Order: sequence, then structure tokens, then C-alpha cells
Amino acid sequence: MTEYPSRRDPKKVITAAAVVVVIIIAAAAAIMFNPFQQRTLTVYTYGSFMDWGDNNDTDFFGPFEEKYGVDVVIDRRADDANTLVAILEAESANPIADVVIGIDNILILEEAAKSVLAPYTPINLSLIDDSIVSALDPEHYVVPFDFGLVTIIYSMADMNTTTHPELANLTFADLARPAMARALVTEDPYLSSPGLAFLLTEIAVHEKLLGTDWTDWWSDVKNDIDIQPGWSEAWARWYTDPTKHMMVSYGTDPAYSAYYTQTEPDVGTAPIYYNGEHYAWMQVEGMGLVKNGPNPELAKLFIEYCLSPAVQMYVALNQWMFPANMNVELDSAFDYALKPDEVILLNELLNQTEIAENLASWKSEWNDIIRG
Amino acid sequence: MRNGSTATYVIMALPLLLLMGFLVYPVLGVLILGLVVGPGSSFQEVMSSQVTHATLWFTFLQAAASTILAVVLGLPGAFLLARLEFKGKQAVRAAVILPFILPPIVVVVGFLRMFGSYGFVDSVAMALTGSTESVVNFAAGVPGIVLAHAFYNIPLVILLVSAALERLDPDIEDTAELLGASSIQSLRRIVLPHIMPSLLSAAILTFLFCFMSFPIVLALGQGRYMTLEVLIYYAFSSFDFGMTSSIAVIQILILMALAIAYTAAIRSDKRDAGQTSFIKTIPITELSAPGLLTGILYALLIGVIVVGPMIAVIDSAVFDPVTGQYTLKGFLHLLEVEGGLLPLTNSLFYATLATLFSVVMGIPLAYSLRSRSGLLSNSTSVMILLPLGVSSITIAYGLLRLIAVPTGWAANPWPLIIIAQTLIGVPFTARAIENSLRGIDPSLLEQADSLGANRLQKLFFVELPLLAPGILVGAAFAFAMAIGEMSATLFLKREQNVTLAVAIYENLGVRKFVEAGAASLLLLVVCFIAFLVIQRASESAFKGAI
Repeated sequence: MTEYPSRRDPKKVITAAAVVVVIIIAAAAAIMFNPFQQRTLTVYTYGSFMDWGDNNDTDFFGPFEEKYGVDVVIDRRADDANTLVAILEAESANPIADVVIGIDNILILEEAAKSVLAPYTPINLSLIDDSIVSALDPEHYVVPFDFGLVTIIYSMADMNTTTHPELANLTFADLARPAMARALVTEDPYLSSPGLAFLLTEIAVHEKLLGTDWTDWWSDVKNDIDIQPGWSEAWARWYTDPTKHMMVSYGTDPAYSAYYTQTEPDVGTAPIYYNGEHYAWMQVEGMGLVKNGPNPELAKLFIEYCLSPAVQMYVALNQWMFPANMNVELDSAFDYALKPDEVILLNELLNQTEIAENLASWKSEWNDIIRG
Repeated sequence: MRNGSTATYVIMALPLLLLMGFLVYPVLGVLILGLVVGPGSSFQEVMSSQVTHATLWFTFLQAAASTILAVVLGLPGAFLLARLEFKGKQAVRAAVILPFILPPIVVVVGFLRMFGSYGFVDSVAMALTGSTESVVNFAAGVPGIVLAHAFYNIPLVILLVSAALERLDPDIEDTAELLGASSIQSLRRIVLPHIMPSLLSAAILTFLFCFMSFPIVLALGQGRYMTLEVLIYYAFSSFDFGMTSSIAVIQILILMALAIAYTAAIRSDKRDAGQTSFIKTIPITELSAPGLLTGILYALLIGVIVVGPMIAVIDSAVFDPVTGQYTLKGFLHLLEVEGGLLPLTNSLFYATLATLFSVVMGIPLAYSLRSRSGLLSNSTSVMILLPLGVSSITIAYGLLRLIAVPTGWAANPWPLIIIAQTLIGVPFTARAIENSLRGIDPSLLEQADSLGANRLQKLFFVELPLLAPGILVGAAFAFAMAIGEMSATLFLKREQNVTLAVAIYENLGVRKFVEAGAASLLLLVVCFIAFLVIQRASESAFKGAI
């Protein structure tokens, strides 16, 4: 028995391990549940909110924090705005958030979205163009934070208006040709807001301009078009796969490219063309008061503040959308962006009532075509 | 559990109670809410829908194909890892598990570069055929989906099966050889029955992963295919909670069938555990020439499938596609508190505790799985597979709505994140430990009894050391699952709870590609080190047991 290794008492080992674990958890709890915190205003938003540039939350909201002696927590709570609404709904018995930013002009049509919000008309809404306010929500459950145009972009390294003259006046018929359809990446309309905007673009153009059945185009391209779950995946595919030249994205992409490469942009926009005019869908992203939120008065002041130039001046370069407040001056890179006055907005053809009535069946018809 | 005392029953019951409280209750709770309160489609509507049927079929078939491929590609690796003795074996074993932790979007990009049109494999094929056009594209459609699923799950097969092989009794093999059995016969009659339970565990876990797959199917399938999990996300994002719950019910029914079939298959295996021992290993230098060649070819194949996509991660950490330049700003970003230090600390804190808890829970659960009571073993079997076999969004939503909000944890949900990460680790620890438990020679325990060891001493000095390979593999996968966990963490986390996996995804969402690449690389390095530490720890803790 002399070679038998010495043993520690198992009870001691278990106790020691348990003590260590308890101390770690207690320490973490003590750090996280700090009772001496300043009063906070909680803002729920989606993952990429104002995170595209060189500025940070302190630049945007620091002045508000100082003025009102409050800690503003920008909680990028979910990947997408639909999940944000589901979370607000789950928390509705005991809301944590005061303000939510990111509910757009389609999501607000869902009953679920309105059920977690309280309508509020800020004084600073006078700074915003009426057409944008009513394109988002005439009832003001949400008011505009920013807006952007969803359009097809193309990589200039792969194609341009000389090699592909149709890019200058692109139609869905052009895109239905197999060579073009195979080069196009779009996003899933169930899971991605630009993907949904593209579906609505396609529906509006066919039903309202061409007067044809919208489902035919999807039947034509369904074996060639590349549909990715979200914008990030679509961009990764577009960038990585040398056979993909076009993508459904935002009209500000050329501006982004010009700003970061400090040269002429390597990305072009190709809005849909019909009868002498170009068309695009406008996405308006809104912010609203969370119903029964903990600090309603402060939340109202925050929404006023977000509409003011103090925040709006940062929108262009940190969000790569157009600021809702149009008095704000844009960086010169935005000269390359597709601008609202260059196109007719498809939102004017397809009104919100019609969308609200048909959205669920459109999506499910789309699903039947693609996976049928 | 012959001499079961009250303490034993309490210890056995505790993990089951925790699973009931933190898993079964929130899942069943939201399912009932969804089905009864809604809003959305009714159960009958969903069940009679053509889309549901077609999706169910596709989900099933692609999962079966992926499982077969993962098993076929993984088995030789399991043999090599168990049988061969070579330098750096520990490092190889730690590296094998790495594919498991990469977020899907990172894997998709790696796959496009490796297997896509004009990717690495295509370039080789184009050079061979002299073509200037793309020849092969394995990163699209069903082949792409199945290959990516194999990429994720080969580690599972290799590690679970090799852990079982390490307990193969060399005497039986010698006897078979002495009696004139060919190596094929010995493989079929001796080795295969020995590894069957672990192979089945690996296969069932792989099947569940592929069955639940969602971003991989959408991204590589280019939108043309969908699984039940995709339908759940569709329904959830359209606020159709009736449909979400209905499909989750289908998932649970399938899961129950799988779990019960597995238990039955294992039970029909009446062999007694032989004498506990270690497999006969061969130094790599003594391998025959054909053996060595086969080994090298296999390593090359696995290299292309598994290592290839990971090399893309290293490249993405330093190459910025927006400016087209190589840069170190990704690594500089990691040095910032919000950019890297906080996510890293969170990841390590959550994953370490989750691993610890899932091992501690896994041991009694493994005994429950082995219980003679069919009800106990079947219900345990279903319960531990639940976190893998029922939609993660259902679990996350249940935890948030039925536990975090009523308890007030929603404001600071870190304990809940650890719980969620523990839940997804338990299937691995419990199964892996159960497989080891099967290999324990009962006579050893009787000897310990007769020598006067009490229950605790027996557990610590006899059983745990014998369970070490199972604990090791289970802990490694529990850690990998926890640190790579996205769905529940994404759903529960507040601003202060960001983990590395979440940070990667968020960076990709705002075109911070090098920042995402650097975070992915950091995740890989951290996990590699963690797996080495887990190996060392389990070896030193249990060394000299027998």
C-alpha cells in the first residue's frame, strides 16, 4: 500500500470548490447590482444602431445626460426590430425600456408594435418634413429618426453602365434574365427589412405601374436569385462570391464607399426604372415611447432631443441613413448617394392601409413560390 | 444505486428539478400561451398546411444525410485519435473541436472561399480541367448545406467515439486475434458493439443539430430551402405565436421519439461491461506504410473540409474588404473595453460557470439515464435533449417572459444567460458521462464496497476517475456550446452582457469586418487554450486512479 497515492478528503474538495464558485458569483452579483447607480433612461434599439461610424454614444447623448443628470443606456437589445417588439411585449408586464428606436414604416403596421407603444407628438416634430412623418405613422406611435432608400446596388469592379447599359434604366424584366438574376443577392422578406422593402418594390411596380401579376417575376427568377437571411449575410455573399455583382441594399452605399476609400465610389445604385422615371422604396425608422415605461417625462425629453440637430447631425456618418431633420448639413460624400428627390417614392403608390391588409398573405405567397 | 440513501436521492433529483424549473416550465408555458392565447394560426391550420409537410420532409432528409456524412467522415478520425500515439495529440484533440464554436455567418464565408465558385477547391478543379469558367460549387444548395453540417459535427463524432474507444479492452482484441479472427471480424464483433452507444449518441446529437439548423440552411441554400426552425423564426417575426408554438410541438414530438428510440436501442444491448481497461495504442512511427498513407490522405481530406474554412477566419482578421487593405485595426479594437475586453470577460465568465454547472448536473443525470426505471430514464433522456431539439427562440422567449420578467432578472439577466448556456451543455455532459458509466466494471465498485469505502469515497476515487474521458469530452463540448451560444444570449442580453459570439455578429452587421474577424480569431484561440486546460485538469485530477 506504500505506492498508493495520497488522497484528499472528497468533502473538503467539494466544499472548497463550492466556496470558490459562490464567491465568484457573489462578486459578480455585487458588481452588477450596484445600488448607487444614477437614475437611468433605457433605450432599446437594434444591433447596428448608430454604430457604423467613428463617433460613439457619448458623442450623441452625452449632452443630454449632463443636462438632465441622467445615465442614458443605449441597449442594442436585439438583432432586428421585430425581435425588439417581441421583447417589449414579453416585458410589458414590467417594462424596462423607456424609449424604443428602430420600428419602421412597415413594422408599425403590426398590431403587436402599437400594443407596446404610447403615442406622443413632440414639439420638435415641426423640424421634420410632414411627408416623412405621415409616411411613417400619422398617429405618432412612432416619429421619424432617420430614413433611407432601398435600391439595387452593383459592384463597379464587375459591371458598369458601359458593360451593362441596362443598369442606367433597370427594369424587373432586365433582372429576370438568367444572367442578371444569377448575379443578384437579396434578403429574406420575413427576416430582413431591406428584403421586405424589395418585395414591396416588386409588388408596387408590377401591380401599380405595369398592371401585371407580381407573382410571375418571382416564379421566373426563383432558381437563379440568391436570397440571404439578412443584410449582413447578403453583403458577405456579395463581397465573397465572385459570381454576385448586384445586391439589394441602401442608396447611401456609394457615399459609404467614397467616404471610407477617399476616392470615387466602387459601388453604383440602380433604382428601378419605368416610363421616364426612377422609383425606390423609402424606409423610415421611427422612435417611440414605451407604454408604461419607468420614466415617461424623461423619455419625452429624450425624443425631443433626438429630433434636434445635436443628434441628427451625427446620423449621416454613423448610421448611413438620411437624418429625419432635413436642416442638417450632409457630408460631401453624400453627393454620391441616391437621394429622395431623384426618385419617385413607391410608398406613394402602395399606401399603408393596403400593405397592412395584404402583408401577411403577400409574404406567404412569396414563400410558396420560392419554396414551392 | 443499490445502497441508495436519502442524500443520493436528493442529489439525483436536484438536476431534474432544475431542468423542470428552468427548461420544461418556460418551454411548456410559452407553448400553451401560444396555442391558447395566440395570436396567430391554430394548431390544426399549421398541421394541415402543405408548407409544413414539405418543410418537415426536407428538414428530416437533410438532417439524415448530414448525419451520415458526419459519421462517415468522423469515424476514421475517432480510430486514429484513440489508437495512435503521437506528439501533440493533446493539441490535435483540442483543435478538433474548434469548428463547433464558430458562428454560422463566419462558417458560411469560410465555405464560400473554400468551396464556392472560384474558391480554393474550384480553382484546383479549374486548373486540372484547364477551364476558365467555374467548374464546381460545393457551397450552394443541398451539397453546401450537408457539407457545412458535416463541418460542424465531425468533431462530435470524432471526440465522443474516441472517448469510448479509449476504454476498449486490449485483451479481448488479443484473444480474437489469437482465435484467428480477421481484422474485419474483430471490428464488426468487438469494436463496433463497444462503440455503438457512443456512436449512437454522437449520431443523435448531430441529427438534432442539423434538424434545428437555421442560418446555414438559409444562407448556403440561397433561400430555396427551409427547415422547421426557419418557419418558427418566420412565424415569430410575424408575431404568429400560434404557429411558433405549433411547430415547436412538432419538434418536441420528434425529439421524444428520437430520445425514446435511443434509450430502447441502448437497453437492448445486454452485454455486461467487461473489465475496465485502456485501449492498446500504437506509436505513429510503427504504422505500416499503407496505414500511414491512408492516415495522411484522411488528414488531408479533413484538412480541406475543416481547416480550410478556418483559415478564412485568420485572413478576415487582417484584411479589410471595404478599403481592400491589410490592417491591424481589428486587433486594436479588441483592446478597447467595449470592443474586446468586456465581451471576452463575459464569454469566459458565463462559459466557465456554465461548463462547471453542466458537468455537476451531468453526473447525476447520467445515473438517471442508466436507471432501471423506464419512466425515469426516458423522461431524463427527453429532458436533456430538449435544449437541442426545441427551437432556441422558444426557450429564450420562455425564459424571458416566464422567468426573467416575473423575477425582475430581465434588468440584469446574467444569471439567466448562465442558466441558458448550462442547459445547452447538459446534453453533452450527461450523454458523454453516461457512455463512460457504461464501461465501468461493476466488480470494481463491489471491491470498493468490500474494502469499506463510503459512497462519497467510491464516487471520488473509483467512479469519477473512470468517468474522466466522458467528463473531459462532455466539458469540452459544454464549454464550446456555451461560448458559441447565440440565440438565447442574443435574446436575453442587455448592453453589459455582450459576449464574443454576439460581438462578432454585431460587428458584421455594421461592416466592421476586420473587427469581426479579429474577434472570431480571439474566440478560436481562447477556446483552444480552454480545451487544453480542460484536458490537463481532468488528467491531473484523475491520474493514478486505477
